[in-house]
This record gives sequence, C-alpha cells and structure tokens, in this order.
Amino acid sequence: MTDPRQLRRRRLRDRLATLLITAGGVGVVVSVLAIGVFLAWEVVPLFLGEGALAPAELWQPQPVEGYAEPQHRWRPEPLVAGDAVHYGMAPLAWGTLKAALWALLFAVPLALGAAIHSALYMPRRLRARLKPTLELMEALPGVVIGFVAGLVLAPWVERHLAGALALVVTLPLGAVAAGGLRALLPAFLRARLSPGWAGLWLAPWLLLVGSLTLWLAPALEAGLPGGDLRGWLEATWGLDVASRNALIVGLAMGFAVIPGIYALAEDALSGVPASLGEGALALGATRWQTLWRVVLPAAGPGIFSAVMIGAGRAVGETMIVLMASGNTALMSLSPLEGLRSLSATIAIELPEAAVGATHYRLLFLAALLLFAFTFLVNTLAEVVRTRLRRRYRRLEGSA
Amino acid sequence: MRPFLTRRRGEGPWPWLAAGSVALSLSMLAGLLLLLAVGGLGHFWPAEVSEVTPREGAPFAGIPVREERVVGSERRERLYFTGNLDLDGERWRWIPLDAIAALEAPPELVVLERRRWGDFLGHLVALEDGGRRHAGAAAWPALEERLATLETLRDERDHLRDAVVAPLVRRLEQGGDPAAAAELARANARIRELQTAMQGATLVLESVDGRRLEQPLAEVLRAWRPNAMSPPQKLAAWGRGVWRFLSEGPRAANSAGGVWPAIFGTVMMVLLMSVVVTPFGVLAGIYLNEVARQGPFTRLVRIGVRNLAGVPSIVYGVFGLGVFVHGIGGSLDAWFFADSLPSPTFGTGGLLWASLTLALLTLPVVIVATEEGLARVPEHQREGALALGATRMEMLTRVVLPMTVPAMLTGLILAVARAAGEVAPLMLVGVAKLAPQVPVDGEFPFLHLERKFMHLGYHIYDTAFHGDDVQAAMPLVYATALLLVLVILVLNLTAIFLRHHLRARHGVASRA
Repeated sequence: MTDPRQLRRRRLRDRLATLLITAGGVGVVVSVLAIGVFLAWEVVPLFLGEGALAPAELWQPQPVEGYAEPQHRWRPEPLVAGDAVHYGMAPLAWGTLKAALWALLFAVPLALGAAIHSALYMPRRLRARLKPTLELMEALPGVVIGFVAGLVLAPWVERHLAGALALVVTLPLGAVAAGGLRALLPAFLRARLSPGWAGLWLAPWLLLVGSLTLWLAPALEAGLPGGDLRGWLEATWGLDVASRNALIVGLAMGFAVIPGIYALAEDALSGVPASLGEGALALGATRWQTLWRVVLPAAGPGIFSAVMIGAGRAVGETMIVLMASGNTALMSLSPLEGLRSLSATIAIELPEAAVGATHYRLLFLAALLLFAFTFLVNTLAEVVRTRLRRRYRRLEGSA
Repeated sequence: MRPFLTRRRGEGPWPWLAAGSVALSLSMLAGLLLLLAVGGLGHFWPAEVSEVTPREGAPFAGIPVREERVVGSERRERLYFTGNLDLDGERWRWIPLDAIAALEAPPELVVLERRRWGDFLGHLVALEDGGRRHAGAAAWPALEERLATLETLRDERDHLRDAVVAPLVRRLEQGGDPAAAAELARANARIRELQTAMQGATLVLESVDGRRLEQPLAEVLRAWRPNAMSPPQKLAAWGRGVWRFLSEGPRAANSAGGVWPAIFGTVMMVLLMSVVVTPFGVLAGIYLNEVARQGPFTRLVRIGVRNLAGVPSIVYGVFGLGVFVHGIGGSLDAWFFADSLPSPTFGTGGLLWASLTLALLTLPVVIVATEEGLARVPEHQREGALALGATRMEMLTRVVLPMTVPAMLTGLILAVARAAGEVAPLMLVGVAKLAPQVPVDGEFPFLHLERKFMHLGYHIYDTAFHGDDVQAAMPLVYATALLLVLVILVLNLTAIFLRHHLRARHGVASRA
C-alpha cells in the first residue's frame, strides 16, 4: 500500500528535480555557447559608427612612412607619442597559419604512421599500453613544452643546425634500413625482432642513427661551399636564420598535437570492420596493400577529421608559440624565420590595452577569429566522424 | 622461371616508417621527461667545485655546467658557474678545454649562498665576531655554528613579523587601541633586538686568485663545502634543497628560492574551479543524457559542447576578461566598493575570476565524461528501477548516479589536470608575477577572492623569459617544470586507472 499523499510528494519532488536539472543543463549549455555571441558583440563597434575601421585597413597593405610600397604592418600602439598606428592583422593571421602548417607537416606523418603501426601491426596488449602513454604526452602543459623549445631546443638547434636538418633525412632512412637489415639477420634473431614490437626496439636503433648523424654532421657541413651552413643558406637561398623560428615552433607544437591526431586516427583505423581487411588478406594482399587499398579508403574521413582537429589545436595553441617563436610579425613562408600568431598577440597585448579602445577590440576580433576557425573546423570534423561511424555500422551489418 | 629476378615479396619500406614514427614519438616523450628530471633534480645536488688553472691568466673556482663545440672548429669549450658577481662582474665563464692547464678539487673550497650578489665560491679565511677571530681550521666550524644560530634568529623574526606585527598593525588601522599599541611596540623592540643580534659578525673571504672580500655574516643564508662532503651528506643536502624549494618563497626576482606561493596559488585556484565545475558539468551531463528528449537538437548541442573542448584556451581568457573582470567585476566595484575606486577591487584580475574562467574552460571535459559514464549504465537497470515504482529522480539518485561516480571523478580529475597546466587564459584574468600575500590568511573573510595569485605554469614562463639572468634561473625553471609535469602526470594516471577500473567493472559500453 502506498500512501497517496506520499506518492504525490514524491511526484512533486521528481518534477522539481527535473525542472532544476533542465534549468541547470540549459543554462550551462546556453552560457557556454554564448562565448561566440559575446565576442562578436564586443567586435561590432569596430566597424560601425564614428571612427569605424575599413576592412581594407586590417587585411590589405597600407602605406607606411619610409617605405615606397604599401606594407602589412601591425603596430597598434604608437611607440612614441604622435607616431602612426597600423592595424594590419594579416601578418598575425599569416603567422598563426604558418605555425600550424609547420606543426602539421611534422605531426601528421608521425601521428598517422604511429596510428597505422599500432592499428595494424601491434599486438593488442602493447597497443593497450601505448594509448595511455600517448595520452600522457597530450597532457603535458604547453608552457613546459614551450620552455623546452624556446630555451633548450632553440639554442641547441642554432648551434647544430646542420645536424638537426640532417636528422630529418637520416631518421626515416634509418627506420627503413632497420627493416632491410632485419631481413638479413639469422632466423632466430629475426623472430625476436618482430614487426609488432618494432615501435619499441626501433627506438634505440634510431637513437644510434641520430647520434651518428650528429657526430658526422660537422664533417658534412665542412663539405659545403664556405664550410658554413648558415652562410650557405643565406648566400644560395636568401634565407635568414633566426634562433627562435617556425621550425622550432613546428617541432614543439607538432609534439603537442601528435597524440590528439594519433588517438582519433587510430580509432578510425581500428574501427574499420575486420571483415573488410580479412577479405583482402584472404585474397593474397600483404598487410600494407590491405591498408593502402582497403582500410585507408574506408577510414579516410576519420583520418581527415583527426587532422582537422589537430589543425584546430595548432591554430589556437598559445604558450608554445609565445615562447618558441620570437613573436616577430613577418609575412614569410621561410621555416627559419620567426612569426607572431594571433593567440600570442592576445596574450602579450590584451593585459595592457585600454578597455574599449580600438586596440582592445581588435584583440577581441583576433579571439573571435580563433573561435570561429576552431569551431568550424571541429564541427566539420565531428560531423564527418559521426557519418563515418554510421557507415561502419552499416558495413558491419551487411557483412 | 627466374626466381632471383622477381622482386622479393615483402611489404616495402612503409611499415618500417610507420614503426619508426612510434619509436620516434616515444623517444621524444622519454627524452623530454628525462631532460626535465635531470635538469630539475640535478640542481639541488651539491655539485663539486673545481679549481681551474688556465694556461694564461689567474686561476678561478667554478662548477662545470656544460660543454659545447666551438662553432666552426673542432675545439670544445666548457661553461663554468663561477659566482662572485661582486668581484668579477659576472657569474659565468666559458673556457676552451685545451686552455686548461690544471684541474683540482681542494676540499676546503666553500660555496656561500648570499642574499645579495648571488653565490660566492672560494676560500674561507676567517670569521670575525665582535673582536674574536676564528681563523684557519677553526673558521669553518665557527661559521657552521653561527649560521645555525642565525637561522633560528631569522625564523623568530619572520614569525614575529607575520603572526604578531601584521595583525596588530591592521587592528591599529581600524581604530586606536592602547593595548595593541603597547604590544606592537614590544614586538618591534624584540625585532630590533633580533636584528642587532644578527649583525656584527663578518667573514673574511678570499677568491681563488687571491682577492680578499669582507662579507657581513647576516647576508649569508647557507654555506657548504661540496668537495669535502660524503655521498650521504650530499644526499641529505639534496633532500633539504628539494624541501626548501617546495616550502619557501621566491627570492631575487624569482630567480632563486622556492615556489611555495605558486604551489599554493595553483592548488587554491584548481580547488575553487572544481567546486564550480563539478555541479554544473554533472547537471548539464545528466540533462543531456537523461532528461532532454534525444533528437537532432540534443545531437547538435552535444556536438557544440564537444567543440568547445577544442576552442583555444586563450579565447576563454578573453571571454573571462570581458565578462567576468570588466563586466561583472566592474559592476561589483561600482555597487559595493565605490569608496575605493578608481583602484579596482573585483574589477581587475583575481583568484575568483581565474577560477571561473578555468571552470568554463574545463566544463566540456566534465560534461563529456559524465555523459560517457551515464551511457555506460545498462538500460535494464533504469527500466528495473522504474518498473519497481521509482520516480525518475529516485531512479537517478539511487541507481544510475552511484554507478556513474567513477566516470564523473575521472572527468573531474582530467579537468583538474587540464586546468593546472593552462597558463594563457590566466595571463588575462589574474595571475601575478609575484604576489606578496597568499589568497588565504587569518583575516576576515579568510579567503580573499579578489587577490592576485601566483601559478606554477606562469612562474615558469615569467622566470624563463623575463628574468635578467636567464641562465642562472634555468635550474629553477627546470625544477618548477618538473613539479608541474609530475602533478599533471599523477592526476592523469589516476584518471586512466579509474577509467580502466570502470571498464573492467561494467564491461564494454552497452549503449554507445
């Protein structure tokens, strides 16, 4: 027997709680989504009313005193009173994209390679250990990576430029050579060094190759005309070498985005219905042929979304760029020159900008750009991923 | 048949490149952690001091730091930390290896840590103390004894200043109170007494090349003779060094001393953030998964929330600055703290605004983790509870939520780990280079939400990029970075362990 009054009380309480949860949930969701609206609200006065900026002032070269040609120039506060101010945001946007581009150039091959290896070759037990390890790598704070990149790596690369550049060539060659050498080994040793565990036993080998490269690099450099790589680069290619440059940023930020890309790409690859791959293998394809012709096309959208999410992270990363890039607003593609990104500019300049002034609102515009870009990229990636999951389910159903 | 002409059936170079990228990623991670560990922990080890005699010029004492190849030649050179900023005008010296005539490690070399001018490396000649002079072999024991006394005097003075004088001064500011005034005078007299007791003694020091220096003992913080120490003694000194790093405040424009205020500030901010983010994140997760009608709209919201996890942290900082600091904080100032304007109370960055900003930043993490946990609870559990007559509220609180607690905890831990490492938004909403007052003290209302605070991550950035002698601050930056990474790794490992435990208990996802 239930007391009807008690039942009513319980019902009432239930309705109240549901109401509370709904209010809380909707409130949180709305307030979180309000970020974009707020940023846009702060930016609108820039382009309306008196003293409005023309978009051309931001994105097209403007005449600068002392230069014949119009220039892209970011100098939002006069250095001395009465100086002209320039609001050219193009170098900042360029710097952001350039940093992201170099980071992705470094991270995408490594992350995809790691994902392919672990999805296709690794024993399940090892893969279950590798994933959390790379998750830990993702958790490393940007400020620590930026510190190591800016104060340890940058001076080191400056001193060992030839060796560092040579590593880019020798490490992949070393990995391939390891495969070739393994085929020559006696059978019992070859069984020990199984391809499934190659992710581990290749590490000391690559370390050896790397140290050998660094040891030989000075001799190689001496073989260049002039015996000095830096001078040669400048003379032949017109490249100026800055200590903190896009290469360092790309390396550091690539390190930071590898785990994210890896995790999503690995999910996409190992989510491909096993029947597809097994069919190809049964018809006599090698594992790599299976991957290239069957698994990759099936997982393509997932890998695309992984790269997109990596790009979103690279575009917005602040501390690494701030500490490793030198923060010079330039418009060059050269990997050996510095750059200044939107996010670093916000971090440096916003605390000092006068509230409500043009400079302040421009920095809000920068934030809005970052927000819009990452939101678009992530939405795209998420939609693609959802579609893909549905496709896998269908494929599995029909198999 | 010409078998030797057909290509051997293998998979080509690609699989090896793929394996190589795993190996490279792992080595980079290991290398980074190793670098931080060596750089951070090595700093506290009492390194041996060598007496270097160059082929030309005077000898000097120094601690070897690192070796490099001279650019454009085969020679190598070594960097020594030589200290003695007051004598030499600099603290570092590069010397080519082939220019060193002799290297020795005499046991009597002392290292003094001083309040001004940084470290001294050289010989201790004598300790002069009010007319008495301890010279030769007697000098070192006398110095050790005097330093121990100094330490206790200093502790007493600091205690008096913080625990007695400061509250009294505040009481006097609020209204005249004769008892307080008398007490204050007594405390100040005692402090002056202690100050005089600290003065007086002088050290006579001599650098390795024979220059004499008179050093007031009150300026010396610590002294040790690394070359005469046995390994256990060194280990003990190392332990004390680590402890001082964790428990003391920074000195010399953050380039020396410890990081205690930064640890405290980080923990405080993260705690406040958790208090805010947990209820809201869980509420939103429950709403999305249990209450809202599942349809295209919730799917859209879910994508939106997931995307917010990918929005750059600096954007949250800008939002926090605009909405919390200038919006809400400015209004609070205008309403409640109008008498102290134009100097802002809440209208500038502070602990509260930083915590709220980071709570917003980590909200998606908690929401997503809660949702995943809820989705993992088998549908029949819910149906069973409802069939037995429970209302939805009772079904949630008695059956579903208890099963989701580990998932929520995982989300919270991940959120904390993310928040502890985030620096960029804090630069806009309230972190300080040096905050003299921690945000918690014995004064009402005990927790000062409007105060600025120090943060481990920002401490790294600031010390590494804004100090005047970055080289000298490097070991401290390494140690701080190591500390931050350790905290975050431990948090993440806990989260990974919890999640693993959870999967093992519930099996694979039953509804996802």
